[in-house]
Amino acid sequence: MSRQSSRAPDPRKVNGELFTLTYGALVAQLLKDYEDDDEVNRQLEKMGYNIGVRLIEDFLARSNVSRCNDFRETADQIAKVAFKMYLGVTPVVSNWSAAGDEFSLLIENNPLTDFVELPDGHTDLNYSNLLCGALKGAMEMVQMEVDVKFVQDQLKGDNITELRLKFIRRLEDAVPAGED
Amino acid sequence: MAVCVAVIAKENYPLFIKTIPTDNELKFYYTVHTSLDVVEEKISSVGKNTNDMRELYLGLLYPTEDYKVYGYVTNTKVKFVIIMESSNTNLRDNEIRSMFRKLHGAYSDMLCNPFYTPGENITSRSFEEVVLAMMQQD
Repeated sequence: MSRQSSRAPDPRKVNGELFTLTYGALVAQLLKDYEDDDEVNRQLEKMGYNIGVRLIEDFLARSNVSRCNDFRETADQIAKVAFKMYLGVTPVVSNWSAAGDEFSLLIENNPLTDFVELPDGHTDLNYSNLLCGALKGAMEMVQMEVDVKFVQDQLKGDNITELRLKFIRRLEDAVPAGED
Repeated sequence: MAVCVAVIAKENYPLFIKTIPTDNELKFYYTVHTSLDVVEEKISSVGKNTNDMRELYLGLLYPTEDYKVYGYVTNTKVKFVIIMESSNTNLRDNEIRSMFRKLHGAYSDMLCNPFYTPGENITSRSFEEVVLAMMQQD
């Protein structure tokens, strides 16, 4: 886990395991408070949405990317730049639909789920649902409405974690839907 | 081959016990229970003088007719007890140490699971797999 680095550490960077444990504590507490998997999924998505609408500004400022010409470029930016910048993993973009408006992100080792085992009886819980909300929120701020959901989840026994992003429509109105 | 692996909490109640399938499993449970006294004795005696030099591995706690009992205590006073058959006399100390190290690693990985509360019974599948692997080797 520790890496010898010759430059002074960025004071804002945080240890990866601390991040994983913090997210885990968050989900465990939500589960204790709401007790219902669907409600927890909804809350995680709401929290992710709030993070996403703010994170997109930081992303655009730090990564200096130009406007994407089509959805495929957007997908590449998300996978290769954004995920790398914030989670340190590079998912694979795949399973494009025929119309080119849906694609999948395949994540091999999700840092949020290190050491996690879902308890029995909570098989509907989408543990990393915060990611879905964050992607939705961020995309909305760049005038794209997308629908993000989990198709496969390593915590539920699948080999790989798969997120499906579907482009719904372009938002002409720049103001996002009111945050409840 | 380990015949029984037990994890005991700080307050001396069992968190996890697994034995090889046999008729007389109770015998192993009793052995683990009695070995706790030896563990307590070891940690209280060594703790007085050389606290920083104290090792986690306690070594052979006591041999019975057919079995040898080994102990290991973590810094959080969680104890691991392994019972091995005496017929495996070719087993060296280092191998037992490495078994305990693997157990300790699996235990700390399991603790990082946010859905596990310390002090709860251990139901983690990955931890059980590590233990089963230990009981089936050799």
